[in-house]
Amino acid sequence: MPSQVKRLILLFGIAAAALVLVRFLLVPDSFGRYGHYRADAVDEVAGMEIRYAGHLLCQECHDDVDAVKSGSMHEAVSCEACHGPGNEHAEDPFENRLSAPRGRRRCAYCHSYNPSRPTGFPQIEPDEHGGEEPCITCHNPHQPEPLVGIEDCEACHTEIAKTKSKSHHLSLHCTTCHATQERHPGAPREMRPDKPRTRSFCGQCHGEDASSPETIPRVDMATHGEDYLCWQCHYPHFPEGRR
Amino acid sequence: MEELLRHLAEAQQQITGYIYPNEIELHWGLVIVLYPFITGLVAGAFILASLERVFNVKEVQPTYRLSLLTALAFLLVAPLPLLAHLGHPERAFEIFLTPHLQSAMAMFGFVYAWYLTVVLLLEVWFDYRRDIVVWSRTYRGWRRVLYSILSLGVVSTSEESLKFDERAGRFITIVGIPSAFLLHGYVGFIFGSVKANPWWSSVLMPIVFLFSAIVSGIALVLLIYMVSSWLRKHPIDMPCLDKLGQFLFYALILDVSLELLDFVHRLYEAEESIDILAQMVQSRLFTSRVVVQALMGTVVPLVVLAVVRALKPRELVRKVAYFGTGILILVAIFFMRWNVVLGGQLFSKSLRGLTVYKIGLAGAEGAVTAGILTLLPFVILIVLVRLLPPWSGKSGVREVGQQTHSS
Ligand code: HEC
Ligand code: HEC
Ligand code: HEC
Ligand code: HEC
Ligand code: HEC
Ligand code: HEC
Ligand code: HEC
Ligand code: HEC
Repeated sequence: MPSQVKRLILLFGIAAAALVLVRFLLVPDSFGRYGHYRADAVDEVAGMEIRYAGHLLCQECHDDVDAVKSGSMHEAVSCEACHGPGNEHAEDPFENRLSAPRGRRRCAYCHSYNPSRPTGFPQIEPDEHGGEEPCITCHNPHQPEPLVGIEDCEACHTEIAKTKSKSHHLSLHCTTCHATQERHPGAPREMRPDKPRTRSFCGQCHGEDASSPETIPRVDMATHGEDYLCWQCHYPHFPEGRR
Repeated sequence: MEELLRHLAEAQQQITGYIYPNEIELHWGLVIVLYPFITGLVAGAFILASLERVFNVKEVQPTYRLSLLTALAFLLVAPLPLLAHLGHPERAFEIFLTPHLQSAMAMFGFVYAWYLTVVLLLEVWFDYRRDIVVWSRTYRGWRRVLYSILSLGVVSTSEESLKFDERAGRFITIVGIPSAFLLHGYVGFIFGSVKANPWWSSVLMPIVFLFSAIVSGIALVLLIYMVSSWLRKHPIDMPCLDKLGQFLFYALILDVSLELLDFVHRLYEAEESIDILAQMVQSRLFTSRVVVQALMGTVVPLVVLAVVRALKPRELVRKVAYFGTGILILVAIFFMRWNVVLGGQLFSKSLRGLTVYKIGLAGAEGAVTAGILTLLPFVILIVLVRLLPPWSGKSGVREVGQQTHSS
């Protein structure tokens, strides 16, 4: 064998031995036990502090909420996506309270309009949708069914229906104020629905002595715009009043 | 943070159409452009050297050793752009310790190690061994120590051992040609195999990369040969230069045909991405792709080289022509890498918008680093040329002997 080859073999041999030695010294013991990584890393990750409990745990105590939520449009949205990490709470619910996202921001993370979201995903333009009210005034967070702001009357009275669905009168059905004959859609001009005629009609809900829910704003029926019909000042399908 | 935001805000104003949020910032920038450029020069220079050895092209013999040293100098720098890009460059060696055989990126380590140690260093060693032995005897001081170490203690200069050097060198060259193809084909493969990216994904990519590498390697050696002759006040060997020019011409024709094939193929397939790619080439890449790469770097050199070959003008005119085309081609091949690497990231995966690339000045991946990485191979080459003078062929020993006497 020529002396060149001998020397080169020696040189490459030393390099190979050095590689084996370095491998021996530097490659962690647990490398390759499960795959192409350090097996100890799994234990290290497992040892990290747990912050999220997972929705199965929440369900054990809040089965009422879960019953509402499962089957709803938010079925696939985990509790902690809205309520935040809840492991501490799950361990001691009275000591560690969880808050609920009652504002508008959290919902907008998922629902604000963004073209990269999947087609058909329900999206809104937060600056325009629902005024400045918190989302939960109109939507139930645990059961956000598609709101029918628009009822069957909408097919023909689209403009009014749309306007109303964004208004404070959103929750009122058309028929609350318009007694409508069943045949009105078939013969609209002959069968004209009723329209409120008196101030006291609005007073049912807005009068100071009305038995309606307390959240509805009240006016003194005797002095408030006393000489006029209410809808001479307030558009009934989009009433404005509070400053 | 503020810096980052300003940068983002600026970029955002230049975005056209719709892009996804994570596409504003390009992940691979200038240094990654440099990486295929430099490896290409290595492969090209080596293939040029192999021509002399394997196919016995006597004319280019004056550039044989110069090409080898050029390849070596550039190869030593080739991984540095990658290291500059890594967040943890100090961990790069781990790909050798825990080799991952299915990772195309990790394979670079092995292709590189094979090519550096088994091909280039060995070939240089066998070719220079006799000279090294002689220098280890004629020189004094540190040089003597250095050459003694480089000789690995093999001091024989007998007829028989020189014959063996010759045969071993030839064998390594034969192994080296596919290795050089592998080295640069690999770089093309890295891009060509990204099937989610319509600008990159193409089976032709490795081949296109390879041929452009050969073109750039020949151009580089041609330039270095001309400049070094001029610096040494040595007459340029015109047959050699003409031969290099001829190779350059042929390689360029092959390269252009392949790129045209790729282009026509894309055009005819007209996949859904074609509109956004066309838009990109017409706007973002117009200067670098159409003006620099296609016109100045391909059409002009092709015409000039063809005219030179057909008319055989005076020596001076030929020299100027070769020098000019060499520079044009190098610039064009650099921008070819630029167009591939950056182009693949400029359009959105939504195929509906384009982002922009802004070169940073400072930073590990900035223009300054890129400039240093471009100059570094030349510095290394100067050192190598000082240590292992390539000018001589077999007569070099005498020349060196004269130098030591005169100095
Ligand atoms: C061990 C039973 C238990 C588990 C498990 C549990 N909770 Fe509770 N949670 C309670 C109790 C009890 C309260 C009432 C605490 C109070 O009123 O001070 C409560 C209250 C709440 C509230 C109301 C806070 C408020 O301000 O009204 C929310 C929201 C809540 N839990 C969410 C969760 C979520 C999300 C999970 C799962 C990560 C979870 N809980 C898991 C027992 C539990
Ligand atoms: C889409 C966001 C969202 C999800 C998902 C969600 N919550 Fe809530 N949750 C809220 C909001 C908002 C409130 C406040 C409602 C209010 O004040 O009217 C709330 C209130 C609560 C309350 C206190 C009031 C009540 O209704 O009893 C509990 C308890 C609660 N959530 C538990 C859960 C649990 C358990 C889950 C998972 C099964 C869950 N939530 C999933 C948004 C969410
Ligand atoms: C004033 C009542 C109101 C408020 C406040 C409100 N919404 Fe709505 N929302 C509606 C009505 C009515 C509809 C159905 C009619 C429509 O599509 O416009 C609706 C529809 C939606 C839809 C379905 C859109 C679609 O295209 O399918 C989403 C999602 C939604 N709202 C989210 C929100 C979020 C998030 C907020 C808080 C930022 C919010 N809403 C606040 C009344 C409201
Ligand atoms: C983690 C993301 C997420 C958050 C946060 C979230 N949602 Fe949803 N929401 C969803 C998903 C997912 C659906 C179901 C979409 C589907 O099935 O196409 C949905 C559906 C809805 C719908 C039904 C839309 C329709 O089709 O009519 C409404 C309304 C809604 N969410 C309101 C809210 C409100 C109000 C909040 C804040 C309390 C909220 N969402 C927070 C993910 C989210
Ligand atoms: C098939 C279409 C159609 C449908 C459905 C429909 N309407 Fe009408 N509605 C009409 C037409 C047409 C008129 C007459 C407009 C006119 O003559 O100025 C009308 C008139 C009215 C009026 C005004 C009567 C007046 O005297 O000025 C009211 C109030 C009304 N509709 C309420 C309703 C309500 C509430 C519903 C849903 C329960 C409804 N409509 C459904 C077509 C329809
Ligand atoms: C809060 C009570 C209220 C509700 C709810 C209501 N309306 Fe009215 N609507 C009125 C009053 C009051 C008038 C009479 C206005 C006038 O005479 O100027 C009226 C008038 C109308 C008219 C006559 C044309 C007009 O614009 O004046 C139509 C049509 C009508 N309403 C349709 C509807 C429909 C459709 C809905 C459901 C989407 C609806 N309304 C819900 C109170 C209501
Ligand atoms: C002359 C015009 C006029 C008439 C008629 C009128 N309002 Fe008002 N209303 C206003 C104005 C202006 C406000 C704004 C608050 C204020 O300045 O008192 C208002 C405010 C309101 C509010 C909000 C009060 C609050 O504290 O948030 C309600 C509810 C209301 N009106 C109901 C009615 C009802 C019901 C009628 C018929 C009985 C009626 N209005 C008739 C002009 C009128
Ligand atoms: C069935 C009950 C009911 C009737 C009838 C009713 N309203 Fe209302 N009204 C409401 C509710 C509910 C709200 C919203 C309260 C809230 O925002 O929390 C409201 C809010 C208002 C507001 C306040 C809007 C604001 O800017 O906050 C005005 C003004 C108003 N109604 C006017 C009228 C007029 C005029 C009539 C008669 C045509 C009328 N309402 C009839 C239930 C009623």
